[in-house]
Amino acid sequence: MAPTVPLEEAYLAHRDRLLRFLRARGAGEAAEDLAQELWLRLAAAPDPAAASGLGYMMRAADRLMIDRYRSERQARSRDKAWAEAQPGMADGIAPAPGPERDLAAREQMARVERALEELGPRVAAILRRHRIDGLTQRAIAAEFGVSLSTVESDLRRAYARILAIREEGD
Amino acid sequence: MTTDQPIRDAALTWAMATRAPDFADWDGFALWLEADPARAATYDAVQYALEEADAALAVLPEPEPAPDPANDNPPGWLAARRTWLGGAIAASLVVALTSVLWFAPGGETLYRTAPGETRLIALADGSTVELAGGSTLALEGARAARLEQGQALFTIRHDAADPFVLEAGGERLVDAGTVFDVRLAGETLDVAVAEGAVIVDPRGEAIRLDPGERAVRADGRFRLAEVDAAAVGEWRRGRISFDTASLAEIAAELTRATGTRFSSSDTATRLSGSIALDAVRADPQALEPLLGVRITRSDDGWVIAAR
Repeated sequence: MAPTVPLEEAYLAHRDRLLRFLRARGAGEAAEDLAQELWLRLAAAPDPAAASGLGYMMRAADRLMIDRYRSERQARSRDKAWAEAQPGMADGIAPAPGPERDLAAREQMARVERALEELGPRVAAILRRHRIDGLTQRAIAAEFGVSLSTVESDLRRAYARILAIREEGD
Repeated sequence: MTTDQPIRDAALTWAMATRAPDFADWDGFALWLEADPARAATYDAVQYALEEADAALAVLPEPEPAPDPANDNPPGWLAARRTWLGGAIAASLVVALTSVLWFAPGGETLYRTAPGETRLIALADGSTVELAGGSTLALEGARAARLEQGQALFTIRHDAADPFVLEAGGERLVDAGTVFDVRLAGETLDVAVAEGAVIVDPRGEAIRLDPGERAVRADGRFRLAEVDAAAVGEWRRGRISFDTASLAEIAAELTRATGTRFSSSDTATRLSGSIALDAVRADPQALEPLLGVRITRSDDGWVIAAR
């Protein structure tokens, strides 16, 4: 096996590229802080040898930004729900999952279920295999006995439908 | 969420691409993002929406229909993939032992195309073979074939218990669920995989080719190279590519593909590139600017020479 570069050395070697990627991903002025957060995540990776690869680091940076978007969005909707429920109260306190949130989750589930029905059993099964079971498109093509391009177009159709129903819900 | 539709479509394409474990074009992705700050926000929104849907998807009951009992692998079969591959190789060994009978005279069907002609051969099991111009293929049933000369694109319905076996230039290729292209010109054998996998020489080196991989045998040795998986079999769409091919080899390929006779005695000058055949069919001299060569008329065709 090829000798692996120590994780910290690899991170430092790729740091400029990672910073550029974080900025491209919308990190703005927080890029340095986010790079630091990225380093903490990498340092905590279960397999440091794997984590020292550029691809792994880029993916982790992408993940970091998606997580950041998610927490900002959820904070916004929490704040909104909180402000609506208790006008004048302090921000930043997470409310317990209330009936409104349960309802939103149920609505979301109903929308996804409806979308899957519209898409048909094959597309729904392929979507599940890819998103939930984590199979690659290639593995799915082999399993379903269809071409890679069929899997890709099925997934694209499913995604487009999911994005569309989200817009209906928003 | 109201976003620009083209940006959202592109963001979706990137979200699909980055999800692949072997995605490597992070720089290309960064370049796309940098062109417009709205792109990163849209990409985030797309990823977020898909992950929100995952949460619902995960708790919804799983639909019943299994695709095909033969292919119905239990969850976690990826972990067992190596074993399964071993099985494919083992199965091909059995095929190898019986292949003497397979190619016994009498049972095989010969397909031949003239230069410039192509032909689609449908096999009984739903597999197809597209034969390029100037090629000869011998078929024995639906699961064994021999490429005698030229080029063919194989779209094979995989059956691990009965793998498709192709002989070309004395080499044995075994599919593992596959779209692959094989070109045989003299002693040069070129195998490129678009989907699935092919195992070259299962009894010897057992080289596994995955999508986007290519093996070229020249001077008796295989060299591995990369190929754009989407470009495999592009000759069907009227385009051929060369990878450090000599002018003599290029002339032979062009003759086979167009039906117009090209020749060259130059085996030293080597070129890489890709050519749309329509332009060459319409005017062979279009090759001059395309390849940076000199084209002259001969008695029975065109001569390619280095400039």
